[in-house]
Amino acid sequence: MKWVRNVLPPVLVGLAAIVAWELTVKLGRIAPFILPAPSAIWAELVEQKQNVWEAALASGTNALIGLAAGSIMGVLFAMAASRFRPLAEISIPFAAVISALPIIALAPILNNMFEATSSIPRRIVAAIIVFFPVFLNTLRGLREVNPIHQELMHTYAASGWTFARKVRLPGALPYVFTGLRQASSLAVIAAVVAEYFGGLQDGLGSRITSAASFTAYPRAWAFVVGACLLGLAFYLTTLLLERLAMPWRTRLIA
Amino acid sequence: MTAVVVDNVTKVFNQGRSDEVTALSDVELTVGDGEFVSLIGPSGCGKSTLLRLIADLIQPTTGSVTVAGKSADRARRDQDYGIAFQQAGLFEWRTVLRNVELPLELRGLKKSERKAKAEEMLALVGLADFAGHYPAQLSGGMQQRVAIARALAVQPPLLLMDEPFGALDEMTRERLQTELLGICAKTGTSTVFVTHSISEAVFLSTKVVVMSARPGRITAAIDVDLPARDEAARQSEKYFEHVTAVRQALRGVPAKSAT
Repeated sequence: MKWVRNVLPPVLVGLAAIVAWELTVKLGRIAPFILPAPSAIWAELVEQKQNVWEAALASGTNALIGLAAGSIMGVLFAMAASRFRPLAEISIPFAAVISALPIIALAPILNNMFEATSSIPRRIVAAIIVFFPVFLNTLRGLREVNPIHQELMHTYAASGWTFARKVRLPGALPYVFTGLRQASSLAVIAAVVAEYFGGLQDGLGSRITSAASFTAYPRAWAFVVGACLLGLAFYLTTLLLERLAMPWRTRLIA
Repeated sequence: MTAVVVDNVTKVFNQGRSDEVTALSDVELTVGDGEFVSLIGPSGCGKSTLLRLIADLIQPTTGSVTVAGKSADRARRDQDYGIAFQQAGLFEWRTVLRNVELPLELRGLKKSERKAKAEEMLALVGLADFAGHYPAQLSGGMQQRVAIARALAVQPPLLLMDEPFGALDEMTRERLQTELLGICAKTGTSTVFVTHSISEAVFLSTKVVVMSARPGRITAAIDVDLPARDEAARQSEKYFEHVTAVRQALRGVPAKSAT
């Protein structure tokens, strides 16, 4: 019952928005070549489902590899930075400056550094974008240790490594996942948008630009829907992982 | 051999700064093997500080602390004591059972051994049915009982407790006091116990150490000699005599700004 109460309102609002969109276009307020009707996008999505699926698979693979690499680097760097204070003091301003840069702007440069058939540039862009939220959140989590836990481990004469493994890391998990939640959507955006700037053209991004340049707007929108679903799949998978990794937390989606 | 010797210890915090505080001044304390010593006094009298010095969580400014015949530092690294704080301080990502197992784990016990030991300790504090729960699912009092089970799990020769029963209801408190005495008697554990409660101090202790604040120092040490420590003892005349003695010792302290 509670589940229905939580899920029903957003679903109803979403449906109402789609109906309103359809009616606006159908009643001639907006030309279909500017904004296609949802029904046209849907028809295109059904027709192109094989293409959408293959493009999503290519972009999804890039996003996943970038996400995994960026997250692993983020967690490892955060562990190093929390262990050696000077490292944190040096790296945090750098992290702040670099994360303020539009990293997607690196895509054209990276595309030129590798050969045209390489998927590596897109994966690097995704990894760099993922790195910062994971690094900063994990570092914060690793630093926030309950003082009683610290004293207790001190009385157990636990070594620095034991303390990191048994207290710091599990204590930082909620923060790691906060970072991962942001990062999972960012990874998909990065993998899709990086294709706008050249490189291998087999993902959703290139399909969107090519459909748009042929003024095949319903088809472009169909691929946008595919990108949206891909981002959602990444986000929900992260939520699921979070629940599996932290069974002691009963409330999650909040 | 004596469990704890605190020899002429002074502890000054923030030494040489404008907010310098003398937490303890010229403290002498001896806890014999198997003795149960309570530290009682107003807030700010340094009783927790004294306990933390014994635990080697802080170091004395002058003087020395000896635990089980070794330096406090050596004793800590040999895990010669178990400790329970005012707050339970459980690890929220571990189940109740795995919380109690932690000190055993760090001692390198086998999985089956530490599980059996932890289950025994949980049964002792009446939480056998909650082994698989997470701390967030327990009440504050239950969490504190888990913390006590954890302190007892390694069966240390010395038990350090900083108001461990403060958050518990009166019934649980009295039951755990009796349990604690049983465990100490059975295992010969020496105990240093910080408390605010006169009746708790008298019921549990062989010696009640009364402290006063600013600077923290020991003003009296009252030996408590009860023939038995059971429910009847709580009503006995001798018990009330000791309660009165401790209360007078606490009042005898010039109660400057005791809070």
